[in-house]
Formats: sequence, structure tokens, C-alpha cells
Amino acid sequence: MRVAVTGTPGTGKTTATETLDYAVVHLNDVIREEGLHDGEDPDRASLYADFEALEEWLAANASADDETVVVESHLAHHFDADRVVVLRCHPESLESRLRERGETEEKARENDASTKSPQALTRYARENAEAEALDVILGEAVQRHGLESVYEIDTTDRTPEAVAEELRAVLADEREPSAGDVDFTGYL
Amino acid sequence: MSQQEPEGRWAIAHVHASFNNTIITITDETGAETLAKSSGGTVVKQNRDEASPYAAMQMAETVAEDIMAQGIEGVHVRVRGPGGNLQKNPGPGAQATIRALARAGLEIGRIEDVTPIPHDGTRPPKNSGF
Ligand SMILES: Nc1ncnc2c1ncn2[C@@H]1O[C@H](COP(=O)(O)OP(=O)(O)O)[C@@H](O)[C@H]1O
Ligand SMILES: [Mg+2]
Repeated sequence: MRVAVTGTPGTGKTTATETLDYAVVHLNDVIREEGLHDGEDPDRASLYADFEALEEWLAANASADDETVVVESHLAHHFDADRVVVLRCHPESLESRLRERGETEEKARENDASTKSPQALTRYARENAEAEALDVILGEAVQRHGLESVYEIDTTDRTPEAVAEELRAVLADEREPSAGDVDFTGYL
Repeated sequence: MSQQEPEGRWAIAHVHASFNNTIITITDETGAETLAKSSGGTVVKQNRDEASPYAAMQMAETVAEDIMAQGIEGVHVRVRGPGGNLQKNPGPGAQATIRALARAGLEIGRIEDVTPIPHDGTRPPKNSGF
């Protein structure tokens, strides 16, 4: 079984999947390490993922026929999956999570030119928060996989451990699908 | 000697179409002044209908009337968000809005899709998703 864990950057996908007893594929790392991209968006300092190459890579390395494998990324819902978990977070909390994470990263590698300027960090946090407010990833996930395969989990004001626990419930088939339980359009 | 008609003013219609709701905001051309605003909750009773094309149409009719009374002749449209709770085709809220604005008698100028793109060092290809 292949389970996609998706959600806007900052919703806590990497944190929540860290403690799972399943194989976890971090798709963003795969894109960079395996070079499965096709140029860069200079406005967003982000690589265009090569979906065809990733599909092939996933078929070879994270086959749905094997044991349960979790594919974690804000792009994970663009690929075949048996279940799709969409992590959500109120856009205001999301913005502060992304700012804090960005500032921590900057401190960790002060001399690295690839860290974001304060202005770039602001734009990055804002655009992701706006995408979260507009349910962009939830909409895409439902569009591709249908309501019967999507499991929405709101992480706002919840500990990473509580989120991981709910994720385990989805993996153990102890939770019903759900979508559209939160409305963050008040942020807009 | 012939005096020119004063030209009608133009505005911008911002359409936010989420999975759950549609919000229409009409601003002046600079985006500074809000001329009219409506959200799905004001025209339908059920939460799940807030993102429906029906709600978008109702809202568009009301705001169109409102801004035409303020002397607006046409709108440029900026769409943000895929929209479309349970819809087969993406963006029905946005499409229904644009059609209803036109039907109400407004001229439609540029239509721009400015949907935010989730990104984190990687992003989807240019023409993926919606
Ligand atoms: N449940 C949570 N509550 C508060 N902060 C969280 C939670 N989960 C993650 N974070 C923090 O938010 C930031 C983003 O989390 P991360 O796991 O990197 O998100 P993602 O992988 O979805 O982009 C990190 O700094 C992390 O420590
Ligand atoms: Mg991550």
C-alpha cells in the first residue's frame, strides 16, 4: 500500500512522519538528490519537479504492491496512492511556522548563500499561507483521488505527536475519509 | 463643440475560489479601495453550498448591480484558487462568476489566474494541476 502524506509546506508533514514505523520517502529530497527536475522557477527559488521521472522512480522504489510505504511531500498527491492524507494548518499559524523554520535554518548555515533573504522568506511564507487559505492542495487531492481516498487532518494547535497518532489511525484503517472540514478563507 | 461622454470607470474583480467557499471583492483599479464584497455564506444556507457555482452566480449578480450603480462600466478579473467543492470541472465558482458579471452588463477585460503555488524548494511543473 502506498500512502501519500501531502499538505502545504509548513503543515508538519516531515515532522509527523518522522516517528512512524513505516518506510517513508521524502519526495523533495528525492527530487534534488536524484536530479528529477526540469529547470528552476527563479521567482520562487524552486525546482520544477519532473512528474514523469518521479512516477518511474516511485514505481521502482515505492511500489504500492510492497509493504506499506509513506510518500511525504507537498507534491505527493500528484501520484498514484491508495490513501491520501492532507495535513492542514491555519494560514496565520502556518506563516509563523515557516518564518521560524526559515530563521532557524538561516542561523544553522549563516554563510550559505542559498538561505533566503528576509524579503524572500516573507514572500515564501505568504504565498504558502495563501495557498493554504484557498485549499489549493486539498482541492487538487480530491480532484485526482476522489473524496473516498482523502483524509484531512487539521494540525492547528495540535502537537506533532497528536498529529502522528491520527496519521497512524489512517494507516491502520481506523479513520474515515474526510475533506473540507476547515474553512480558512477568513485569512484572505 | 461636441463634448465627449465621460468614460466609464473600470474596476478589478478579485475572485477567491477555495474548496469551501467563494469570495468576490471588487476594488478600484489600484486595488486600494473596496467597492463591493460578497462571500458564499451570504447567499446560501448550507455550508457545503458556499463554494457552489450557484452561490458564485448569486453573489456576482449582486455585486455587479452594486458597482454599476457606482458608475463602473467594466472589470478586469483576477482569479485566485482552484475552487469547486465536489465539482467535476475545476474552477466552476470562478467561471460562473465571470459569466454572471458579463450577463449583468459589465464589460470583461483581462482575466488573470493568480492562484498561489505551494512551493518548498520544489514546485509542480508549470501547467500541472488546475
Ligand atoms: N503540530 C505542530 N505544531 C506546531 N509546530 C509544528 C507542528 N508540526 C511541525 N511544526 C513546526 O513547523 C515547521 C514546519 O514543519 P515541517 O514538518 O518541516 O513541515 P512540512 O514538512 O510539512 O513542510 C517546523 O519548524 C516544525 O518544527
Ligand atoms: Mg517537509
